[in-house]
Amino acid sequence: MNRQDNNDRFQQLLIRLVLVVIPTIIIGFITLRFVNFSYTALNTSLVSQTIYFAVGLTLAYTLYYYGARLAITFLLLWIGYWLFEKIINRLPGEFDVFYATARFQLYSTLFIFGWVFGFLLARIRWSYIIVFGLLATVTLVAISDTIDVSLTYILVHISPVVVYGLYMLFLSPLLTKRVEINLKRSGKLALRISLFALLILLAFIVTESLFKSDLKAVEKELGARGAKNNKDGSKNNDNNYDERNGLMEKGGKGDDGYRLKDTMRVNSKMSSSDKLMFCSKLDNYFPDGSPAPLYFVYHYLTRYDPVKETFTRDVNVPSFDEFDVDPVNLPMYYSYIDTTIFRKSMGDKLKKVVEAQVYLSENTWKHSVLGPANVFAIQTIPVEKDFQKTFISGYKITSYASELNNAYFVYNISANPMLEGIQDKRHEELRSVKGYSKIDNKFLNYYTTLPTGGIYDSISKLAFSLVGKDARPVDKVIAVRDFFLKRNENGKRIFRYSLKAGAVDDPNIPSSKMLYNFLFKTHTGYCTYYAGASLFMLRALGVPTRFTTGFAAINRSDKNKGWYWFYASQAHAWTQVYFPGYGWLDFDMTIGNEDQQNAPKPDGTPPLPPPEPWLVLNAKAESVNEKTKSLNASFSSLIFLNNTYALNKSFTRPIDASLCRILYNKKDTTFAAIHPGDSLIIVSYKDEAKKIPKPRPGVSIEQQVQDFPSPIIADEIHIRGKEKEKKKESGTKKGANVAEKKITWQEIALLAAKGIGALLIIILLLPLLYLIYRLLRISFAGNLSAKADQVYQAALYRFHMAGFERENETPLSYAQTKIDPALKAGFEEFMHVYLRLKYSAGTHQPEDAAVINRFAKNIGSSIRVKNGIFKSAAGYFNMALALRYFQTPTSTDYSTPSL
Amino acid sequence: MNETTSKLKALTENIETIIRGKPKEIKYVVTALLAKGHILLEDNPGAGKTVLAKTLAQSISEGAIDFHSANGGVAFKRIQFTPDLLPMDLIGSYIFDESKKDFIFKKGPLFTHVLLADEINRASPKVQSALLECMAENQISSGDTTFQLDQFFFTIATQNPIEMEGTYPLPTAQLDRFSMKISFGYVSEEVEFDIYSNYLAIGNGKNTVKQVLTYNDVIHLQEAAEKVYIHPELVKGIVRLVQATRRHTEIALGCSTRGGITFIKCLKAWALVNQRDFVIEDDIRDLAHPVLHHRLIFRNREASRTALQQIADLEVNKLAKMGIPAKP
Repeated sequence: MNRQDNNDRFQQLLIRLVLVVIPTIIIGFITLRFVNFSYTALNTSLVSQTIYFAVGLTLAYTLYYYGARLAITFLLLWIGYWLFEKIINRLPGEFDVFYATARFQLYSTLFIFGWVFGFLLARIRWSYIIVFGLLATVTLVAISDTIDVSLTYILVHISPVVVYGLYMLFLSPLLTKRVEINLKRSGKLALRISLFALLILLAFIVTESLFKSDLKAVEKELGARGAKNNKDGSKNNDNNYDERNGLMEKGGKGDDGYRLKDTMRVNSKMSSSDKLMFCSKLDNYFPDGSPAPLYFVYHYLTRYDPVKETFTRDVNVPSFDEFDVDPVNLPMYYSYIDTTIFRKSMGDKLKKVVEAQVYLSENTWKHSVLGPANVFAIQTIPVEKDFQKTFISGYKITSYASELNNAYFVYNISANPMLEGIQDKRHEELRSVKGYSKIDNKFLNYYTTLPTGGIYDSISKLAFSLVGKDARPVDKVIAVRDFFLKRNENGKRIFRYSLKAGAVDDPNIPSSKMLYNFLFKTHTGYCTYYAGASLFMLRALGVPTRFTTGFAAINRSDKNKGWYWFYASQAHAWTQVYFPGYGWLDFDMTIGNEDQQNAPKPDGTPPLPPPEPWLVLNAKAESVNEKTKSLNASFSSLIFLNNTYALNKSFTRPIDASLCRILYNKKDTTFAAIHPGDSLIIVSYKDEAKKIPKPRPGVSIEQQVQDFPSPIIADEIHIRGKEKEKKKESGTKKGANVAEKKITWQEIALLAAKGIGALLIIILLLPLLYLIYRLLRISFAGNLSAKADQVYQAALYRFHMAGFERENETPLSYAQTKIDPALKAGFEEFMHVYLRLKYSAGTHQPEDAAVINRFAKNIGSSIRVKNGIFKSAAGYFNMALALRYFQTPTSTDYSTPSL
Repeated sequence: MNETTSKLKALTENIETIIRGKPKEIKYVVTALLAKGHILLEDNPGAGKTVLAKTLAQSISEGAIDFHSANGGVAFKRIQFTPDLLPMDLIGSYIFDESKKDFIFKKGPLFTHVLLADEINRASPKVQSALLECMAENQISSGDTTFQLDQFFFTIATQNPIEMEGTYPLPTAQLDRFSMKISFGYVSEEVEFDIYSNYLAIGNGKNTVKQVLTYNDVIHLQEAAEKVYIHPELVKGIVRLVQATRRHTEIALGCSTRGGITFIKCLKAWALVNQRDFVIEDDIRDLAHPVLHHRLIFRNREASRTALQQIADLEVNKLAKMGIPAKP
């Protein structure tokens, strides 16, 4: 091969790289993005994932474009991988941390995927169909995992893959030949691509208009309040909350919308994202009146997944005491108490009830309540108007907290005599726990599960070396704590705190390999390292332990007593250890950072407490008078001076809303937005001007409601959509609805599968059906020439399907040269008669009928004699053959001149 | 019908005894004769063009008018075209008759039944056009007199595809006058062996060629060819084909209407030669190339090879797919 050929080939390769490989990389990126949304295990950098995929793809495409052998390259690849793994396993230190992890598996998998795609695209012409199908499936599976599936959502997510498929469909005919870089060819190419771009644009416009209608509907509702949003329950989860509306306790089984997808990112880069997450007023004080901060829990990671090598959340946890609501989406003044938490916290010694107000900023971690351990009640509260820019929502929580918990135990600081005193007292108290013999076995097993073998055994060994044989649980915990505080012979700490542990851009929760390295080699890490390592060691010692993520409250100034400010850098991980009777207690093994002086973040101004309502009505608008801005509302449940009551009958009262703030979806609107039938939350504040009825103990609440002032002066009205519609979907029906929806989804899939299957079968049977059609036409033919015609058509078809394809010859010469020499079917004789019938001026002759009938009978038998029964029948399932029969011959090119 | 068939069969078989291994080409020549057309043979020297023409002439006996060949068949003349040939040399000229004291017209070689115009492209355009007038009009004009040629006037022209230097290639307008243009090509191995084995017998055609037809037979056959039935659907197909050649972008000059008429004439004659009294779709396919190809100007070599065949295949396939049409 000479130089010019080489250059030409290279040029062709470049063109193909641009036209095929780059779009494939892009679609790979998009698909990976969707997959990453759904599976946090993959939660590494998306860009690096794509790069691995792209490298594999490009490399394979180039290799196979130049004609590399499939088997040899795969063998080489495998040998390379194997050698790499071998070498890496021998290397000590930091290096192997990365390569032996799940992440390496992930990257190599992606690389192989890229490689296979590259091979397919370079070698097989229609391979893009496979690629398209695979990507579409992956995307569908990835997005099907989301809870709120709407049509628009699916469309938006699936459209990139569809666009890719269309693009390849457009492109593939071009790639079969050499792609010419000359003006005319390029013009053609440009035309194709611009046509394609137009198509995409069209699709986008359609999609956008789809979106627009959605958006517009929302806007409209916000403005004039169509009050129908709740009808389509699929869109948002509000309905779930409507169901256990405002003033009711959560009854029975709530949604197990356990969003395992929520990611936990303990931020390792302090400065970069030190945003305010939330602030809180925590009513927890030491006896001397000084504030006692607590850890704010976000999630518990209870299960160690040895496959993914990370800590994960779990659904089936025995006595799981996490409080499961999403505070951001709760309706205003919604209150919810989960009394099972008391039982689930599994300890009532030294417990107290702690109240806290939490104001969430936009940056906060979503979907779960942030609060001191064992939150059991929540009520949403409004944010004072001036603070609405900083905080999007607020709630009041009540926790069943242990007196033994305190965020002052942070970082094991052992210099403060006051704290040491408290700690010692705590340890003293806990020393009364002798062991875990009396607690539920299932519970114990779950929380002490640890994989065995290899590094896990080394960790266990290390843990056992720290404690005596009969050590009490608390001593074990202390031993582990002291292990991290050990100093070497020079008086320097062995373990150091560093945010730069391991490779950069590590997953935030270290893998077991990393923890092993942390314990035995590097001794450097941040909170998740300490928490993970101590979890391993404590579980090895048989102490029920769990990994806790959340925030460390830091008391910086006493200016605003009880107020704490939480920044992103305060994200923290620690362990909770279970002590029978006492419940779960925070133990933070992370040691202090000796190197870094953390510049204290200033506390902000605490938001003003919202005015306290004396009355909250969960009401329904009966009639609305826009002129006087008053309405009649009926209600059967209410909050009266912080007590929730359900009334045994419904009351209707006039409401004066003349000075009232009206809100819809937490946004201000006007009185006109209230329509009769709307579900409202009517709030009236404690206020000097109002006459507030005093609660009368011993008198039934109905009686007290009778004496409420009339009209009731409302200060805030929250609109919550129509009562009627809600009722329709409420209660058990709602649940059934959800189930129905799921079934529908499956049914649709099943239906689609059935449809496709049926379609395939029909397509497969089409040639046979056509044969039957042809034969039927013969028997129904009227006169002789019609019959001859049908016999002729059937013969052409049957001979074609028997494998004798007519090319450009006329039927007569086809009969003479192909059929009769091979089959002796008497086709030529028939053709002479047929052509005479067709073209001559005369009428048919008496012997014609005999010739036609003889031939008609002869067709099948002649084919069977030649091909055998089985083969001639099987021939009818040869799709390609059948397709060629119906293909019109390539017509001459009347419009485009060649060059 | 049976009579014409047997006569035609006799004629073709008779020629086949001399020209071995070329039944199709012989049929073409006979077709051109029956269609009252003329034929142009383009082939290398020594392929048997002259022998064919000669044999054809000798197979027909009893010339009608005053010119006959030596063995009593119809008249056969052969002109070797050269650059210095003049129209006079073909037509004849007035010469002074001493005895009558008058100019009398001395007829040239064109006054014949079968004319072999050898290497027609070597003569000057002047001569070529003189010949072509005769072919088209069947008459000769010289001075103020017009001489009518016999109704059986059949020209077989030849030209060499090689040695094109110093030639005057026929313009398409003149090529159009030929009903057909065919090329012989070489024969197969066995046939060639057969020819070599019997060259003596073949070489001297005079002795071996039988006279199988009479002059009148040929005239009757020509009339019979005109009566061959061609189905309107086939005519429609021919119209589509002809129009397609005009629309086709790789064909610079499409088929003329005269070309189309000639095509139909030839189809009828061809059907008769194939012992049919009706035209079928196969005929279109067989004749498209010899009848139409030389009338078209193609934009490139590739198109010259394939375009016409493609169009013909397309139309024939349409006809083949068509069911039996209702009788008109």
